[in-house]
Order: sequence, then C-alpha cells, then structure tokens
Amino acid sequence: MTELLAIALGILLAYALYIAVQCTRHDPNGESHLLAAASLPTWTYVFAASGIAVSALGIPDHLRLLSFYGFQRNQLVLGLIIVALTGTLFQRRLTIAARIVGARTVGELFGVYYQSTTIRLYLLLLTFLFAVPFAAAALTEAGMLLSATTGHLPVVPSIAAIAIFLFLFSAIGGWRAVIYVTAAFSALLLVLMIFISGFSAAVFDQLAVLSRSGTTQPGGILTDAIPGVIQLVRGVGKEAPQGGLWTTAAAASFAIAAIGIVLSPGFGFLGLTTRTRRGFAFSQVWILAALAAGTLLFLGPIIGAEMVASASSAPTSPGDTSFGPLTGRLARADELVAICLVVMLIVSLLITVGFFTASGASIFTTELVDRYFVPGMIGSERRLAARIALAAICFTATLLACFLPITTAIVSSTTLSLSAQLLPAFLGVCWLRWISRSAVIAGLIVGSLLVIFTEPPGLVLFDRLFVELPWGRWPLTIHSAAWGLPFNLAACLIVSLWTRNDVEHRHRDQLHDIYLRDDWIAFGGRAARGAKWSLPLLWSFFALGPGAILGNTFFSRPIFIDKDASLGVPSLWVWQAIFWIAGVLLVWWLAYRVRLSIVDVSSVRTRTLAGRQWSAGGSLQPKWIEVSLARLARRENIAR
Amino acid sequence: MSDPEMRALDRHSLAMTIWLCCGFVAAACFSYGFGAGGILFVAWGFSVILAGFIAHIIVNAVYDAYFTSRELALGLIAYAVALVSFGLALLLSHDFARRQFLPVSLGLIIVPAVVIFYMIVHFGVRRTFESFDVIRRFSRSNRSAS
Repeated sequence: MTELLAIALGILLAYALYIAVQCTRHDPNGESHLLAAASLPTWTYVFAASGIAVSALGIPDHLRLLSFYGFQRNQLVLGLIIVALTGTLFQRRLTIAARIVGARTVGELFGVYYQSTTIRLYLLLLTFLFAVPFAAAALTEAGMLLSATTGHLPVVPSIAAIAIFLFLFSAIGGWRAVIYVTAAFSALLLVLMIFISGFSAAVFDQLAVLSRSGTTQPGGILTDAIPGVIQLVRGVGKEAPQGGLWTTAAAASFAIAAIGIVLSPGFGFLGLTTRTRRGFAFSQVWILAALAAGTLLFLGPIIGAEMVASASSAPTSPGDTSFGPLTGRLARADELVAICLVVMLIVSLLITVGFFTASGASIFTTELVDRYFVPGMIGSERRLAARIALAAICFTATLLACFLPITTAIVSSTTLSLSAQLLPAFLGVCWLRWISRSAVIAGLIVGSLLVIFTEPPGLVLFDRLFVELPWGRWPLTIHSAAWGLPFNLAACLIVSLWTRNDVEHRHRDQLHDIYLRDDWIAFGGRAARGAKWSLPLLWSFFALGPGAILGNTFFSRPIFIDKDASLGVPSLWVWQAIFWIAGVLLVWWLAYRVRLSIVDVSSVRTRTLAGRQWSAGGSLQPKWIEVSLARLARRENIAR
Repeated sequence: MSDPEMRALDRHSLAMTIWLCCGFVAAACFSYGFGAGGILFVAWGFSVILAGFIAHIIVNAVYDAYFTSRELALGLIAYAVALVSFGLALLLSHDFARRQFLPVSLGLIIVPAVVIFYMIVHFGVRRTFESFDVIRRFSRSNRSAS
C-alpha cells in the first residue's frame, strides 16, 4: 500500500508543480506573484473558500470525534451555515471598502479606517498564529497520518516531506498557484468524501450508521442525542460532562469560533484578490452552505460509524479512535479505495497548511516588508521577499510540527477564537459607523483575555506560574470564542457610547457616506427589516441553540401522538437535515434576494478616498528603521 | 500576464482540476471493478470518465475555447495506452478475458462514440469527417510541399 500511496501523493505533487510552473511562466517579472494581480478567477474562489472553511475545522478530527460522539458532534456541521451567513454579511462591503481606499489586505483596510497601528498589529499577530502554529498543528497531523498509513516511515521525515512539497509549489507559482491548487484540492476532497461514503454503502453489508442508532458508547456517551442545553461543569480537564461534550451551548459556541475562519486575515486576502466578485454568493450559498455542509452532515456520520464498526473494540475515549481499522477494511476490499480515504484526509490538511502559510507570507510581505523595511520594491524584488517570508514561515512551522507538537497544539487552539473576536471591527468597517477605534481595541483586549483563559495557553501558564484555576477548557461546555465575544461586544458598546462623537467620527463617516451613496442596500420596510435580522436568529435558536434539544425525540416520539415512530434513522439526524435545508434557504435569501453578496463595483470608483489619512497601501518607513537598515547596508559594503 | 493568457491559464487549471478528481475516482472504480467489484464498478469507472469529458466540454463552452492540441494529444495517448493494456490483459489473463471482456470493450467503444457525437454536434458531420480524413490531409501537405 505504501507504493500506491507514494504514487497517489506523487500525482498530487506533479499536479501542484505543473500548475506552479504554468503560473510562473506567464509571469516572468514576478509582478503578480504576491497578489495574483487581484485577478483570481471566480471558480477558484468558489471552491477554495469553501474548502478552506471546511478544512480549517479539521476533517480528520471531526471524523474521529464523530465516530466517538455520533450525532451530537454532527450538530456542529450546521455551524457552516453560520460561517456562510458571516461571509454574506461582510464580503461585499469589505470588497467595496478595499476598492474605495485602495487597500490590498484586510490589515491595510482596518489600519486606515480606524487609524490604528494596534489593530494592524493584532491582525498581523493573527496572521502569524494562522501561518505558523495553526498550520504546524495540521502539518503534524498530516505527518502522523502518513506515517501511520505507511507503517514504517517515521513522523519527522513525513512532516518534512509534506512541508517541502508545499513550500516548493507555493514558492514557484506564488499566490495564484496556491489558490489554483487549493481549489483543486477542495474539489478533490469533496469528490473523495462522496466516493468513500458511496463505496461503503455499496460494498459493506449494512451501513453501521443505521444499525448504531440508539446505542450508547462506553462512558455513557449518547450517540444519537444532544446531552442537554448546557451542563454546569467546570470544563474539559476538570470535570467530564454527562452524556457527551456537545451540548447545544457547545454547538452554538463552536459555530461562533468557526466564523473566525471567515474573519481571518488570510480569508479576507483571498476575497480581495479575486477578480470578479460574482463568486461570493455562489460560493456561500451553493458550495459552502449547500454542498459542503450537506456532504458533511449526511456522509460524515456514515464514515464515522464505519470507523467504529471496523475497530475490534468500541473506543472508550476520543483518543482511541483512529482511521487504521477502516483503512484496513477498505484495503481488504481494494487497496486503491483505501488510498482514496488517506488522500482525502491528507488533502484536507494540505489545504489548511498550504493556504495559511502562503497567505501569511503574502500578507507579511505586503504589510511589513513592503511598508516598513524596503519600500518601493519592483516585481522581482517583491517575489524574492515573498519567497524568503514563505521559507521562514514553512521552516518555523515544520520545526514546531516536528519537535514541539504539544506546544503547537496548545497555542493553535486559540487561533480561531481570537480571530472571531474581530467581529466588532468588521461590523464597524462594514455596517456600524459609531464603532470607534478605542471601542474595537477595548473589545479585543477583553475578548482575547477571556479566550486565552478558557483555552489551554492561559490555563497552563497560570497553573504553572501562580495557582491552579478552578475551571478547565470551555467551562459550562461553552467554547472559548463564545466566552470572549459577548464580553468583547459589551466592552465595545460601552466604549462606543463615550466615543461615538469623538474627533475621528468624521473620518469614519467618509467611508460610510460613500456606502450610502454608491452601495446602497435596500432592506425594505419595517417588517422586511425585522425579518432580516429575526429569521437568522430564529434559525440559530432552533438549529444550533437551545431549541435544537427538541430534535432528540421530535421525530421518534412525536408530541402529537402517544406512539413512538420508527424512522430507521435517529430523530436528531432528521432535525439536522431539516434545519440544513432551512439554513441554505436563509443564506440564499440574504445573499441573492437581499443582494448582500452580489457585488456591483461599477458604481464604486477606485480610490475615491484619497489623502494622507486614507493612504492604505503607501509605504511608511519610520526613521529608526531607515537608519538601522542604512547602517547594516554600509557595514556590508565595508566588509566586502 | 495579458488577459487572454490569464483566461487560458484559468481554463486549463479548471480542466486539470476536473481530471484530477475524476482520475482518482475512476482509477479506484476500475481497480475494484477488475477485482471483486465486477461489471458495475467498471461501468462506474467509464461513467466517471464520461462525466469528466462532459465537464471539460462545459468548461470549454464557458471559456469559449476548444481542446488544446496538448490536451488532445494527452487524451489520445491515454486512450491508446488503455487499448494496448486491454489487449495485453486479454492475451495474458484468461480470467480477465472471461470476466471483463464485455464491460471493458463496451466502455472503450462508448468513450470514442461520445467524443465523435460531441464533434458532430460541435462541428457538423463534414468537418468531423475532415478531422479524421488523414489521406486527404496527407496528400494536400504533399502537394503544397512539391
């Protein structure tokens, strides 16, 4: 099987290198290496955006947890609808705003809108977290998967091989090649997931997901029911919740963490470098909410259940679950099918690592090197700078993945939650003019602190330095993102009350006045406006919030009759399916009918806002950096 | 990068993506079909290839382009390799000939039939025939050389 796996991965490598070479052949001067000339085709955004959103949640982890927790974990897939809704809310306005001020990255846009270096630095910190620890965690997992499948290849060389593969094609082809390959891998991930599930249904005697209904895992884990609205436990590592971790509070708060993907600097960079913006609505509605969420919702449990059915004994903890037994069972039917499963898992991790390292390199080059260190670089110099940045990121991520996997996992656990704390900043730029710089910074500080102290980094650090904290990870089964965001929003609101009429409001008003003039969105009358904010809330309440608990028995023990109904599938799965359909309709309504994701840039002029205060992409080399660099260059010349 | 170059690159990458996805699934279907899977999976393998071809045609239509000469050459080579492999397998394995002759030969007939059907729809009968009329092309090139 090792040889077959090598051939399969070799095909992926050949494909990626071929695309990279094609891209660089058409761009000999390196003009579009960094930003792809802001002209990525629509189809790449359509596939890549959805693939990144799904892969960043961790497909292997999701399937493993699905095999242990069953349908209560499946509830989290509905969070992808929230991700799509968040994209619907911000992508259009972000594109318009970037066009108006001539920003190339989200950091530049926020920096120039809020006139804040702190917010820029926060975004750069997030870029680093996504590019290094987050990517390193995925790299570790990919290496371990490769090592486990081959059986004799150690983990460190596996990680190094994957990292070299990713670095090569990213460095050769630049941002355009990375997105082409990410889009292709996303499509492959989707196709292989459908194929593996279909193959299992056709070849195995009976689908385990159907025979597993009503069973309870060791440890009292309910596999086809949500274990309550909330559980008053101290958190993971301190006290185990009864019946499983994934209460409705956990599912809803996990969805809040998932929006961190859409709000991440890398994802924003992808949107800003896409050519025509027709793909936004299509990607959000049909690919992410409909196809990706639907595939995971219906096929994920099938693969998860087959993993348990293939194992010799039932897992007693999430750590006991692995892909080994299922791979072995598929290999007994046909080795190439087993390879398809492994390729599917590895590809999902490659998407995460490849996208976040490459976007990190591009953002660092644009926002740090081009702005502060070497202003006014030409195409080939910028390409060299991007390659050096990529090499540094890949090298650091590989070192972390190889030698500090636990530390990496601890640090990367905060990434999505910290990214979700940017919600008020996005609301300010896109919709609410009264959100001020001070309000955003205050909210970020409060929210980030709460995130850190409900995740392992804060807990471990505090325990080691001072005293043991009385709570663990995700207290009350609420994800850290949801611990941070309400307090973040509250702090933001309170500070905005005092600062809404500050001297900067005229500056912020300029952008919002252009929205009103050139990018007016007709929300309709009072009733229509009410429907637009209340329907998503109502959907969230029943699909992910406390109302989802009704799904445990709603279809198996209907409240209208005394008898139990025999559906053949768990009631919760039917509930999830119904709210998935409702969610797709909701995203469609907002994206297409309300036109929240339909971008028409014909009425918006580029760089409408000019002047020193609105100079987004300009270089701003401080004197001390200029002097230090000049001194270094002089020493180098003397040494020669 | 000029706009036509960019469009050509976009189209080519999308076509490659389609074949990457279809290639993996078709290979797995054939592998299982030639083993324990039987006729059904072989048929699925050919169906996936045809689906890939149809998707490629749609991409061509969207980008207002036709198959490039490299793509045509690659397709012809792949088909020729499949034919030769099929012939060798028939000669070398009696079991393969007994179990797989009908489904594979049907598949290998259907694939070019679909291609020719597409060409007739796209070009018309005369131009399709001219595409395969090697003798006339050969004699024309001889005449122009002399």
